[in-house]
Amino acid sequence: MASDQQKLQSLIDAYQKLQNDLQATVTARQKLESQQQENKGVQKEFTLLPPTSQIYKLIGPVLLKQDRSEAVMAVEGRLEFIDKEIKRIESQIQSMQSESENKKMEVYRLQTQLQQQGESVS
Amino acid sequence: MSSPTTTTSPPQTIDLTALPVAQLTNVKNQLTSELQHLTTSFSQLKQAQAKFRDCGNNVRDGLERGEGTPILVPLTPSLYVPGKLASTDTVLVDIGTGFYVEKTPPAAREFYSRKVEELGRNLQDLEKIVQGKQGNLNVVEDVLRQKVIAESSKGGGESSV
Repeated sequence: MASDQQKLQSLIDAYQKLQNDLQATVTARQKLESQQQENKGVQKEFTLLPPTSQIYKLIGPVLLKQDRSEAVMAVEGRLEFIDKEIKRIESQIQSMQSESENKKMEVYRLQTQLQQQGESVS
Repeated sequence: MSSPTTTTSPPQTIDLTALPVAQLTNVKNQLTSELQHLTTSFSQLKQAQAKFRDCGNNVRDGLERGEGTPILVPLTPSLYVPGKLASTDTVLVDIGTGFYVEKTPPAAREFYSRKVEELGRNLQDLEKIVQGKQGNLNVVEDVLRQKVIAESSKGGGESSV
């Protein structure tokens, strides 16, 4: 009986930890999304820019002049990287979700089992 | 029976009245936190829009006075040094992710008004979503209330729950 309770507790702990991890991963996913949006905005801005415009890049506190092609390439590279990261995290989220769903069912099963045991005892 | 349904998962409709109170409470809590998140995002978007609008106005008002206008340059938020407007031909615009672009004042104003417009569209979309969520939340709360009332009256009659 007591060991069952302990088992339930550890299951619940594991479930909660999974939920927390999932939350953190989802937050990371959201951050990537906003970065992607920002980079897309910059990319669009580059296409709208007249060819003569001078582009600067902020590095630390300093503005450095940068080649247009270089800047465009940098943004493209970033977008590619973010795309990959999003895909990676997306699959991570999916596996975590199914895992936490499994844990939830396990907790639920053990809970009903314990309840039935308690009822039959009383 | 016209069953209230959630639109949180469009492909499948769930009869809310069939759900137990505990689950309904979960749904309600989830909807509430979602709504809160969306409302926060909404106000953040509004702030961002206002900022862009301010920038556009600053470009217009700040530069029409022409070169040589005496200005105070903030070194820190509380320390200013006198200066002179050197050039009003071009301004440096932050277009995001650390990139700055030299633009003529009209182009800069156009950039900012475009940003304001974009954000306005996002705001409209978000508003629709918020309204939808709010509707869902209201429905769930209604059903939950009915359930609780029904259960408490039933519990009084049977004396055990």
